[in-house]
Amino acid sequence: MPLLTPLFLLGLAAVAVPLLVHLVQKERRDPTAFPSLMFLDRTPAPIASRRHLRDPLLLLLRALAVIALVLAFARPVFGRIGVTGGVDQRRREVVVLLDRSFSMRIGERWPRATSSVDSVIRTLAPGDRMTLAAFDRRANALTPATADVTVLRAALGALTLTDEGTRLAPAMAVAQQRLAASDAPRRVLVVVSDFQRSGWDLTNEARMPAGTEVVPVDVAGLSPVSDRAVRAVDVRRDRNVEGPPRMIVSARVGNSGAAQRGVTARLEIGGRVLEERTVDLPADGSAAVTFSAVPVPPDPVPARVTLGADALPGDDAHHVLLQQAPALAVLMIAAREGPYLSPALRIGDAPRFEITTRTPAGVTAADLVGRRVVILADGAFPTGIGATALRRFVEEGGGLITALADQANPRTWPSAASVLLPGAIRSVTDRAGDRGGVLGALDQRHPALALLAGPRAGDLAAARFDRYRAIDTTSGVLARFDDGAAALTEHAVGRGRVLTFASSLDGSWNDLPRQPAFLPLMQQLAQYAATWRDAPRSYGIGTSIRPGDVASAAPMRAVTRWVATAPSGTRTTVGGDDAPAALELTEAGVHELRPGGSPGARPILVAANIAAAELDFAAFDVARLTAALTGPAATAPGTESPREEESLTDREARQSSWWYLLLAAALLLVAESVVAWRAGTRAPVLE
Amino acid sequence: MDPATLARIGNLELVARWVVEGFLAGLHRSPQLGVSTDFAEHRPYAPGDDIRHVDWRVFGRTERTYLKTYEAETNTSFTVLLDVSASMQYGHGGITKLAYAKLLAATLVWFSRRQRDRVGLVTFSGDLVEIVPPAARHLPHILHVLERATARGTGSLARPLLKVAQSQQRRGIFVLVSDLYEPAADVARALAPLTGAGHDVIVIQLLDAAEQTFPFEDATTFRDLESGARLPVSPAKVRERYLAAMAAHLAAMRTALSRSRVDYSLVDTSQPLDRVLFDYLLRREFLRTAV
Repeated sequence: MPLLTPLFLLGLAAVAVPLLVHLVQKERRDPTAFPSLMFLDRTPAPIASRRHLRDPLLLLLRALAVIALVLAFARPVFGRIGVTGGVDQRRREVVVLLDRSFSMRIGERWPRATSSVDSVIRTLAPGDRMTLAAFDRRANALTPATADVTVLRAALGALTLTDEGTRLAPAMAVAQQRLAASDAPRRVLVVVSDFQRSGWDLTNEARMPAGTEVVPVDVAGLSPVSDRAVRAVDVRRDRNVEGPPRMIVSARVGNSGAAQRGVTARLEIGGRVLEERTVDLPADGSAAVTFSAVPVPPDPVPARVTLGADALPGDDAHHVLLQQAPALAVLMIAAREGPYLSPALRIGDAPRFEITTRTPAGVTAADLVGRRVVILADGAFPTGIGATALRRFVEEGGGLITALADQANPRTWPSAASVLLPGAIRSVTDRAGDRGGVLGALDQRHPALALLAGPRAGDLAAARFDRYRAIDTTSGVLARFDDGAAALTEHAVGRGRVLTFASSLDGSWNDLPRQPAFLPLMQQLAQYAATWRDAPRSYGIGTSIRPGDVASAAPMRAVTRWVATAPSGTRTTVGGDDAPAALELTEAGVHELRPGGSPGARPILVAANIAAAELDFAAFDVARLTAALTGPAATAPGTESPREEESLTDREARQSSWWYLLLAAALLLVAESVVAWRAGTRAPVLE
Repeated sequence: MDPATLARIGNLELVARWVVEGFLAGLHRSPQLGVSTDFAEHRPYAPGDDIRHVDWRVFGRTERTYLKTYEAETNTSFTVLLDVSASMQYGHGGITKLAYAKLLAATLVWFSRRQRDRVGLVTFSGDLVEIVPPAARHLPHILHVLERATARGTGSLARPLLKVAQSQQRRGIFVLVSDLYEPAADVARALAPLTGAGHDVIVIQLLDAAEQTFPFEDATTFRDLESGARLPVSPAKVRERYLAAMAAHLAAMRTALSRSRVDYSLVDTSQPLDRVLFDYLLRREFLRTAV
């Protein structure tokens, strides 16, 4: 006689409970310490009188009742029941979630997983319906809820692994939707995965409908993972050389498993192996390998660091692009160049600033070509450009920073350019007499000032402002002086950003340029006004990118329709009316992006790699999954083979023997009460 | 690393070092994570250096660019605010919340000191209990205070946090470790003096698994660890209400602290410390890869 939950037989020990309860007569009087009673209500325990055992018949009845109860919970299965006989009152809605993320490539995980799913399909009884869904970072139902095993097997057979990471939440949302929509009396969720810890992103909303049986099938096995991978590649400028810039490529090589000595790492640039280095890898650790400096190529060149192939070859290479950091072109307009602003922008190469300086009268509209930001350093209107050209420059996405210093006479600004000012500019406030004003409030949540929020950032509180201009505006104020006047404002004109500073940037009206924070502040303001983004050298798989954002040249940023070629050769259209606006990177390697209709154009290259989290092979306890999906009060089944679990469940469900055993237990307890009452009338003994 | 096992070691310094070094050894990080050890000098700027470390005052005097990395790297104050109220003495499994909080605090402090931050510790209950102001050399003192910290008194955040905020001269990072048995709005109000002063505040709510699952079966009297109040409770009858109230409390806490722009995370004492450290660093964006 097989039992569905044989562990409940341990409950037979409870046969001794009646004796203990009555003989020991120990009432628990020690209170249970608890951190706080703020969430607890007073619920006095019912006081019931109990009687001492005086009659062996009572013991027998109670013991039998306990045995019947234990057997009921153990859920015995009698005889053989055909799976096709009769009308099935216990039909099931089964949802199988199959993990196909990158980590499932390890060893025998994938064959084990598909075999487990096939087992589930084989156990489907008439009336049962099953949905097969695959998940990695996203989840897709591959079949509708169906009883057609041919459809299910075809979907399973067509399923392939991906290079993507793992996320449980989307998969659970699919399962929840399917199970909640079902009217089947039984709902079963089978999750076939290696249960990577990094994939755990479940919240309370992932709870399955009440009564759902959750069957996790862990295909990771007990044998430890043995894998080495290039986890990250860093490219930095060689600071030790004069002359043409050179780059140093270094890689972090991770190792899961036993220590390995003399592992060869290769640096390939443009398809050629430039250098090989050997590295010793500690057990379950990582080591860095640094290659010799290489010249910075003028155009982006794909590079990768590779290791010798192992059992999981997909993470043995890490792709990056080598290229000179693009420069942010700035047009600085001032009657005379101050000693601080240009040097502050010229320092650094992340990004590199390319500064052209002109006078307000000498500058022409041609100087705007290729610029990302215009800085009116002393506030004088650039008469050489003209209001229309400057306004069009900003409307098309250019940035404008204006310092309302001594030359910023609003009467000299043409009316056509008034939109480039945040509001009416009033008279100069002179506070030299009271030791100068200070900045009273900074919106450090704003991206232009966010760098000042970090504990290591500089502080602008020490800057003293002797003079500044009052700006008549109520919106877009990023910083205010201590008297409430606007110090820094932002407003949009078309697609461009305009930042206006109410004082000077050359030190004549304040000592701001002599503050340590001046340098990062100005660089950040210029980057923000230019809508500048640092192009990463590579992206993680699963990232969505907009081609216009990764194009550095202005003409390319205006392209609306692109054709992307994946490393496998697959082509995808991006942008336009009938295609997604962004390209989702799903393959490791170098992707090529060309403007639509220009197959011979020089491509924009995008490097993609396996997401770092997916290379963390540590797993979580599957008991957490069942607890999270079914709630704390639900009974979480173990990780049994789904097929065996299902067949026993089917048989037991048809027999429902537990019901009769419960009835027997109830009758025995009634009999016990009668006997106890009769015994009590003879010799009652109350506790 | 099982927290209960680590707690039995009893040597906080050893445990903290073990967790941090072991964690870093297995970290999948960029080679750029961490900084050079060349901190104690001015050196000429070179392309590629972080421009935030340029000594702009020296430039103003000499028109030459130098890096002042030493000052920049030791400028951050990192302070752990540790709740030592009596409720932290609770532990349904192998480790109490206070023991876990000590390990966590020691690990975070050790990690921050490894980053050359100035480290400090404040223990509090209804009021301040002990204060170790942030300083580069205070790590041994902090570990000593942690080792002898005991749970006592009735916890309340408002008074001690206000005192802490008033005593700070410069901005820093504060990590509050507490079980937060106060209404979420009160917690947000108590943190306001710190957040309002521009400090970077991180809240780690520490709970035992039993507080989240309420696994009790026997009807018995429950005693409040802080107030000593007693309440007869039949767990089967109140479990559902308790879990709902606790879930609502946690959700309200998350919402309120998120609105206050406070970095909040919930940790239970069964979680391995390296996992908590990983999550903490991930949230603090210290684990940027080189991609």
